Amino acid sequence: MICWSCEKNAGGGMLCVGCGAVQPPDRTADHFHVFGLPRRFDLDVADLEQRYKEMTKVLHPDRFARADGRARRASLERSVQLNLAWRTLSQPVARAEYLLSLEGIDLGERTGSKQQEEDGNYATQRVDTALLVEVMELREALAEARGHGDRAKAAALVAGVQAHHDREMAEVAAGFAARQPNLPAIAAHLVAARYYRRFLEEVQADREREEVQGK
Amino acid sequence: MPVDALFDISEPGEAQTKEVCKGRAVGIDLGTTNSLVAVVQAGQPICLCDEHGSLLPSVVHYAADGSVVVGQAARGLAARAPQDTIASVKRFMGRGPHDAEATRRLTPYQFVAGGDDEAVLRFSLLGGRRAVTPVEVSAEILRVLKTRAEAALGGELDGAVITVPAYFDDGQRQATRDAGRLAGLDVMRLLNEPTAAALAYGLDKKAEGTFAVFDLGGGTFDISVLKLEGGVFEVKSTGGDSALGGDDLDRALAAHVLRQMGLPEDAAGDRTLTRRVLDAARDAKEALTKLTAIEVVVERRPGNIWRGVLTREELDTVVRPVLDRCEPPVRRALRDAGLEAKQLSGVILVGGATRMPIVRRMVVTLFGREPLADIDPDEVVALGAAVQADLLAGNARKDVVLMDVVPLSLGLEMMGGVAEKLIHRNTTVPCGAVQTFTTYADNQTGFDLHVVQGERELVADCRSLARFKLTGIPPMPAGMARLQVTFLVDADGLLGVSAREETTGKESSIRVRPSYGLTDDEVERMIRDSFAHAEQDVSERLLVVERVEADRILQATRVALDASADLLVAGERPAIEAAMVELEKRKVGRDHLAIRAAIAALDAASKDFATRRMNQALQQGLRGQDIGAVESKVGK
Repeated sequence: MICWSCEKNAGGGMLCVGCGAVQPPDRTADHFHVFGLPRRFDLDVADLEQRYKEMTKVLHPDRFARADGRARRASLERSVQLNLAWRTLSQPVARAEYLLSLEGIDLGERTGSKQQEEDGNYATQRVDTALLVEVMELREALAEARGHGDRAKAAALVAGVQAHHDREMAEVAAGFAARQPNLPAIAAHLVAARYYRRFLEEVQADREREEVQGK
Repeated sequence: MPVDALFDISEPGEAQTKEVCKGRAVGIDLGTTNSLVAVVQAGQPICLCDEHGSLLPSVVHYAADGSVVVGQAARGLAARAPQDTIASVKRFMGRGPHDAEATRRLTPYQFVAGGDDEAVLRFSLLGGRRAVTPVEVSAEILRVLKTRAEAALGGELDGAVITVPAYFDDGQRQATRDAGRLAGLDVMRLLNEPTAAALAYGLDKKAEGTFAVFDLGGGTFDISVLKLEGGVFEVKSTGGDSALGGDDLDRALAAHVLRQMGLPEDAAGDRTLTRRVLDAARDAKEALTKLTAIEVVVERRPGNIWRGVLTREELDTVVRPVLDRCEPPVRRALRDAGLEAKQLSGVILVGGATRMPIVRRMVVTLFGREPLADIDPDEVVALGAAVQADLLAGNARKDVVLMDVVPLSLGLEMMGGVAEKLIHRNTTVPCGAVQTFTTYADNQTGFDLHVVQGERELVADCRSLARFKLTGIPPMPAGMARLQVTFLVDADGLLGVSAREETTGKESSIRVRPSYGLTDDEVERMIRDSFAHAEQDVSERLLVVERVEADRILQATRVALDASADLLVAGERPAIEAAMVELEKRKVGRDHLAIRAAIAALDAASKDFATRRMNQALQQGLRGQDIGAVESKVGK
């Protein structure tokens, strides 16, 4: 890469080895590459955070508030790329989904655009009916427990779903750790975890609504 | 995911090249009740003062002769000209004429009647002869602070950091930035107030760990959870209510006082009385921070004085329901940060309202610990902003960095009026998101994009930020077109949006201008107009300020003489009245120093009388209580 500022070899890092100018990001870099790490599920999040913070100190737009427009642009782009990479890799679920997407298995956006699901993506096709029925029954059981004001039972149901979720994620981790990862099997566990997680998110959303309305 | 598309969008803020310079950069806390300016000198942030101290009351008075009075003097005019004296303008920033803030019943203001399509809120002044937007009012406050800083630093400013409540949405942020531009400031950064406070604490107190900043100001409530470690100030989560603050406590108390006066809670639309009751409520609330009871005196009409007693218990009962609204945002911010209260290293208090004993008690209950208030809660935000300004100007250490977040989710309206979130709340800025959408109907040749902000599922419940169109798409069956939409949020928390139809390469992008804001053209025009009106004669301004102060003290003395004639000693009334006559005479003259001297003379003549009145008020307020206990409470 040639540095935009001194027009000599920039050296391929965040800053030009010659003149120190911040360099625009490599747009083809994957999230692991941003941190200089190999693609793998098992990573040390504390180490990742350390790298993230150190890189942020160098790249943050605050460092370039008074700099040339091109330097400010490069800092902004680098920071956006870095923040997205951190957000994706620091969370096991997002990291697993991302690894699968790099292998061509698209589970759809986490926020789930309606159109993509109608297009027939992997997630909706592969969900096993038993799981759907299970989650539906869990929802009904929770609604019933709440209807009766049975807080203990509701809490037990939520704890149970959390345990299901954690077990599926443990399977995902084990799957990636295998010598020959069975990607479709990992995807199935991840999709199952997603259903449990949605259930938990809805419980959370209900709780927030109650807190606001209860006042 | 097409990550590289993130970069095919212009920066949301202005993109012009700025000169590389090191110099005088200031931090400004543009507050609801008071505003401050601070600067780093010899490595330490300090607030700059005028003769009244560091706080500039955020009150702007528009006089009939076209002059504008800001600060202490304007506050003195509020009761006499309530419609022409704008206080708490921050609450109206980025809001529309149909917003709840502009349509409440107990208000001293009048607004320019807005049709359904009227986007910009304007205050109607001087009986409808003048109209100003909240951005212009805020710019007047900023101009005074700018002048103060330039006088103190001996030259033009190179830039400013202006603070905003963390929970301000995109429209409110844009409005603040516009006000800065209008005041002739180079706004280097908008900084979230709790983050500024944490910066001041982190650097001054060398704090490390995870802290909650509880910021209850005059008009807004913010709660932020930050991790401070090795020079990195990382906001983990933020929450709040941009329409909850000391003003709401004043209003609740004012309604209570009006009830006691036997009047309806909207003061029957009497704007002068509304202003007086609101002021009396504010004074009583502040006094009750140290006292357990206080006498409240309200002049209903000239010569008709109402007096009553307010106890701290009554105040607590009246404000409790308002303060309870702080609780859900606190719980949510902790949950979003993945923490429980007991895991925090400390709780930092910011904002004048956190001086109230009931607020302190509530914080102790919510967090299970005593909060930190070592740095003056009124000054801490400005001090932090000065530190950030110094960092941005390149003067300071390179090992400190702030990582802030988007306070409210950003998204697009989908078919059926549902909001689709592209960027979730508490995402670290700068950040971006790309998402692909398709057409809903056959032969659809355009997309209407509606950008919204908020946590609710339905667009109708979210804040509308902007609408734009992408047209000229060739007719295709439904679902064939691929519309790629990119959101980019910069380090100020400002959003830019672009859209591209992939099969044709048709593009459109906008810098989001809030639906309830000013267009770029309007801001440019205001800047030109302000140059035309600038360079107001300094002595003229001083004259106005002294006249305002004279009116305030004359009015207060008249009220006191009427209300407490029994406290006068022999010969006192003639002396006071003579001083009043002298001041009346000087006031119409053009010598501001003569007016100031006459004010001092009246002060001296009425000093003993005022002391007796204060003592009586205290005794009446604390009737039935042990005097020893009172002294210990007052003495602190």
